[in-house]
Amino acid sequence: MSKADAFAEAGKTAVMQNIHGTMEFLRKFPPFNQMETPHLAYLVENCELRFYAEGDCIVAPEDGVVEHFYIVKQGRVHGQRPHSAKRGTETTFEVTVGECFPMAALMGERATRTAHLAAEDTFCLLLGKPAFVKLVSISSTFRDFAMRGVSSLLDLVNQQAQMRAVESLGEQYSLETTLGELALHHPVSCLPSLPLGQAVGLMQAENVGSIVIVDAEQHPLGIFTLRDLRRVIGTREGDLDSPISTFMTQAPFHMPPEATAFDAAIAMTERHIAHVCVVKNGLLCGVISERDLFSLQRVDLVHLAQTIRHADRVESLVLIRNNIKQLVDNMLAHGASSTQITHIITLLNDHTVCRVIELAVQELGDPGIEFTWLCFGSEGRREQTLHTDQDNGILFEAADAAEAALIRGRLLPLAERINRDLDTCGFTLCKGNIMAGNPELCLSRQEWGRRFSSFIREATPENLLSSTIFFDLRAVWGPQEGCEQLRQALLDEIADNRLFQRMMAENALRHRPPVGRFRDFVVARKGDGKATLDLKVQGLTPFVDGARLLALAHGIGECNTLERLRQLVDKRVIEAKDGAAYEEAYHFIQQTRMQHHQQQARDGAPYSNRLDPDTLNALDRRILRESFRQAQRLQAGLALRYQL
Amino acid sequence: MKMTWFQPRGPKLTLDQQQRLAQLPQPAALGPVPLRRQRMVVLDLETTGLHLKRDLVISIGAVTIEHGAIDFSQQFECTLNRQVKVTESVLIHGIAPSQLARGLPPAEALLRFMEFAGDSVILAFHAPFDQRMLARALKKELGHSLQNTFMDVADLAPMLFPQALIHRGGLDHWLDYFRIDIPQRHHASADAMATAQIALILLNRAQRMGLERIDELNQRLRFWKRSRQAALHSF
Repeated sequence: MSKADAFAEAGKTAVMQNIHGTMEFLRKFPPFNQMETPHLAYLVENCELRFYAEGDCIVAPEDGVVEHFYIVKQGRVHGQRPHSAKRGTETTFEVTVGECFPMAALMGERATRTAHLAAEDTFCLLLGKPAFVKLVSISSTFRDFAMRGVSSLLDLVNQQAQMRAVESLGEQYSLETTLGELALHHPVSCLPSLPLGQAVGLMQAENVGSIVIVDAEQHPLGIFTLRDLRRVIGTREGDLDSPISTFMTQAPFHMPPEATAFDAAIAMTERHIAHVCVVKNGLLCGVISERDLFSLQRVDLVHLAQTIRHADRVESLVLIRNNIKQLVDNMLAHGASSTQITHIITLLNDHTVCRVIELAVQELGDPGIEFTWLCFGSEGRREQTLHTDQDNGILFEAADAAEAALIRGRLLPLAERINRDLDTCGFTLCKGNIMAGNPELCLSRQEWGRRFSSFIREATPENLLSSTIFFDLRAVWGPQEGCEQLRQALLDEIADNRLFQRMMAENALRHRPPVGRFRDFVVARKGDGKATLDLKVQGLTPFVDGARLLALAHGIGECNTLERLRQLVDKRVIEAKDGAAYEEAYHFIQQTRMQHHQQQARDGAPYSNRLDPDTLNALDRRILRESFRQAQRLQAGLALRYQL
Repeated sequence: MKMTWFQPRGPKLTLDQQQRLAQLPQPAALGPVPLRRQRMVVLDLETTGLHLKRDLVISIGAVTIEHGAIDFSQQFECTLNRQVKVTESVLIHGIAPSQLARGLPPAEALLRFMEFAGDSVILAFHAPFDQRMLARALKKELGHSLQNTFMDVADLAPMLFPQALIHRGGLDHWLDYFRIDIPQRHHASADAMATAQIALILLNRAQRMGLERIDELNQRLRFWKRSRQAALHSF
């Protein structure tokens, strides 16, 4: 290296020191952490750093077309708009360290719609428009971010979610799992003398595809499977009273508990068998079926649903329902969205509810009256997660009050039994006693109608609360017509009652999204590290309440929040752009909540909707905050619409 | 040992360097220039020690404040080619003697800095030290006398933020007070950047207090220093 070159080099690297420091800072945040080094260096070299004291205006509509791209280096920025109804201004959003603004205005080559003020002493990095344009043209990451904003980050989050789920699956279930761990259930077995009919009855009762024939000391003698049963019946070679030993396959193939799932899968494929006995010291300790191994790869939804529908005891339902958690893990791993997952959980829950009702009817005897099993709240909206409790009721047809009372008397014992069985299956009893076993919720169609009317006419706080639960209703079992008639009457009544709508709007503004609660590092520094937020009440409820109100006020019968939003867009009640933003935000909060629940399940921790935002990574935290902001916007829209 | 007093015509400069020296702008006294329009250079020098007559400048870091913002495209850092012993100060700065050996010849480094600084106001933390070290180096290496106005951030800060109750605070006290996080401190350029960030806060405060022009600010600073001296002597 010549002397002159050495000088040039020394000068360059030296100047780079501050550039470098700033690059390192930006690398903590998306999209900068995804950008190529030369592009990031170009950004920093062309930046300027400005200071804004608390309350200083950074960029405002009056400033005209936006000339700079801003990145918050330190501090916090508020977006403020003139307050819709009241005087003064309202904070519409918050931008904190590592975040940028005002992207939409910059890309749209217009002025901002919102004044950006320093919420505290703030340093911003500013990139002039020519350099911004250049950067958009050279860096595809930056371009993607500029065009799609936070949405482009959502893809990243989804990838992360999938990876996490895959990891957890990989740890818990793999082909390296030993048979001892897999064959946890006590094997179904019988003595050789048991008549064929009774042995098959046992298989049916235990819902298994095989039975192992053992001697009194549990030494396996043979195995009898569904395939053998088909042969017996197909060839009519025996009768149901003959002992099982005449039909069994002798000396069943067996493996020790230390063998792996992979070994078993190989053995099954080689020998064309569907069951492997797990034998330790000559004694039977379990059976592994092809289906058990199959479920390592994916729990088959159709199969699960069928098993639920054919379960013949509540206890078997409990066992089957344990698979749902694994199913959710699997689905997350395969990239399913929270919407798909809640739908599937709802579907399986519906199957379970139906089966529980059918079993109760079988056991207690048919009451001889047609009735409809209604569900309310999240179940009514098809938005259940694994963490769910009962909200249900019964609807029946009756000519008058006397007949209604009579029918109620007959249905209530059945309803109570169903509530208890559902509790056994994991649907926690409702603390507010919103359950069909409650005489006030086992009503004729006319009684329901009167009850709903009173909610609308007498807007007490209790009634308002009730309407947020009961007006999301759905028939799960039994005839649908009564429920639909009830719903139509409800919609007609609410459409005419502006006062009730206004009360509901007020109610929908009760839970304010906690934007500003988590200012990343500031909160922790003040020793407020335990700050958590409620994903359900503070995040999802604003969307649910808002969508319910607007749907009911505009004659939309659908109960599902996202479906309500879509229909509201179709009816031009809300703008398509807003609808899409709300949907995305709702979706993300729900996804975060489900991951949170799955994590709790894995940790054996109790279910909770409370999340410490500091446990999220920077990207998730940021998108979550953006999502809460959308909830805030939805509420602001309601306030404007109903003049609150 | 170099015997500079045997060179009556001053330091040896190339023809090119002499021309560049002659073209350096002459800083005038501070005029009624709005703070936002005043170009300022925030300077930090690293030296072999704190002795004003004996120690040497080994590295120069500077950051520009123009139109009220730190401009990342206008930064200066340069290490000077010096033969020095490893001292405590060298250890603090983390500049190894080998690194110094690779630096620019002092005359060229100083000339480049003066071209970078132009006629700007120069801000520094404990500015009198930087001013005197730089002036001595310029005189010796270039035969040039330093005329730029220097303003001391260590004085501006307590004047504009008396509520901080930091009277004789170092750079770290103020960085702490303003919660400014600078990685890699004790490099001339990083310290200059840190000082410049404090300066941005101070300039913002000055304007809020109605001090709109650089000459007003400088005058206020002189009064403040005088009254502080008076207060000290009155005890």
